[in-house]
Amino acid sequence: MFANLKRIFKTAWQGINRNSWLTIACIVMMVISLTLFTSIIIFNYAANYLINYLKEKVDISLYFKTDVPEEDILKIRDELLGREEILSIDYISKEEALKKFEKRTSSNPLIKKALEELGENPLASSLNIKARGTEQYQKIAKDIENAPFKDKLITIDLAENQRVINQIHSLAKAMKWGSFLTMGVLVFISLVIGFNTIRMAIYALHEEIEIMKLVGATFWFIRWPFLLEGALQGFFASLIALAIFIPLIIWLSPKVEMIFAGFNLASYFWANLGFIFLIQTAFGMFLGIVSSFLAINRYLKI
Amino acid sequence: MSLVYFKNVSKSYNGNIILDNVTFEVERGEFVCLVGRSGVGKTTLLRILYHEEPPTKGRVFFEDKDIFKLKPKEVIKLRRKMGMIFQDFKLLNSKTAYENVAFALEMTGYPEETVKKEAKELLRLVNLSDRLDNFPHQLSAGEKQRVALARALIHRPEIILADEPTGNLDPINGWEIIKLLLKINELGTAVILATHDKEVVNTLNKRVISIENGKIIRDEKEGKYLI
Repeated sequence: MFANLKRIFKTAWQGINRNSWLTIACIVMMVISLTLFTSIIIFNYAANYLINYLKEKVDISLYFKTDVPEEDILKIRDELLGREEILSIDYISKEEALKKFEKRTSSNPLIKKALEELGENPLASSLNIKARGTEQYQKIAKDIENAPFKDKLITIDLAENQRVINQIHSLAKAMKWGSFLTMGVLVFISLVIGFNTIRMAIYALHEEIEIMKLVGATFWFIRWPFLLEGALQGFFASLIALAIFIPLIIWLSPKVEMIFAGFNLASYFWANLGFIFLIQTAFGMFLGIVSSFLAINRYLKI
Repeated sequence: MSLVYFKNVSKSYNGNIILDNVTFEVERGEFVCLVGRSGVGKTTLLRILYHEEPPTKGRVFFEDKDIFKLKPKEVIKLRRKMGMIFQDFKLLNSKTAYENVAFALEMTGYPEETVKKEAKELLRLVNLSDRLDNFPHQLSAGEKQRVALARALIHRPEIILADEPTGNLDPINGWEIIKLLLKINELGTAVILATHDKEVVNTLNKRVISIENGKIIRDEKEGKYLI
């Protein structure tokens, strides 16, 4: 058993060494496959991040008439919080709203002056509602329209938000499907690239396989070294792909951050380096082993 | 019990008859020359015997077993009972002379020490002790054929099937191989030597089966090449 294991490793290593051009060709093509594969993972993450980022920006604001006392508003808030589809509600009092407004417009002396002339706080208290899912905003808004406290409200600003909400919702859906589809297509392409390269490499050796059969080698004795070679090629390709990604991410990350504020590609990459390497290596080795297995089986018939 | 028995074997490709109702037997330890012009079906006959292709009609027995009724695993075992050498040597180009011979033994799971001892011993027998680490492209044609012969012997086969083994060799190297085959035969291994080399056949003075147009036209105990 141990002697056979040693022989398989020895034969596989010889194959890698002595057919070095074939090995290099296979590894290069696998690096391309794996680079595609890992790009998909990173792109997928970025797309999810973007969708969540946009989703977080969406909310419904209920603006209350100025004569509604705070305790009534808090009561309504507690009532609404009991609903399943609502994730959280922020209460913003008139004073808070004013403070925020002043802060936001501090650079505009005209507004400041107008407020001073007005003498009182013109802003309304409000409740900012966040739903569990973007598709639930419409239902929440509808329910509020029919709620008994409807007459205490000045306005529900969903009407303005509705278009954005719908757009984000369909964008999220499209991106989910799009990235799913792209992922499928690209994984398929990388599989085809890897498989065909290995198939050609094994084709180049098919005479050797025939000879091994003629001298009475069992199929597994012929097959194992090829499978191991495929796995090793996948492993090396994964190492090289990672070596390509590291400088690429470092270079790309600040550029992406300029477009999507707060999205740090590099920190995601570093935090998930282990996972990315693991899944990429697993994919590479799977590709190498399965391709070798399928390619060699063509020649292993009696 | 004969070692090899071809019973009414025919083979045709797309209606082209290559072998036509061929029947013969080979006993253990026998030396048989299979002669005829190129393309008369000598190679096909050997390919059928080592189970590389099935006959269109007829049956082939090895040690009284119909070889086309064997399971794949048994076919592998059958091939280990036959040593084969070819005109084009069929060596593994990415392996050294030693590895080519050792490989055939490694696959049966022998311990490393036995493999080393046996492979080196056989390469010494064919006078290649000083070429162990050379790859096939670094060997002469005669040396390649001797490596192939050493490989063919490693399982201590019952029979050696030699398909035009001297076809690519100069006369001196060709005779080296024939002499080795004779030596192997003297030690008890049967040999089927397919050849169209008249001089070799006439010098050997062994059994000669002559084939023409896919048929056995002559089968003589101490025959000559008469076609």
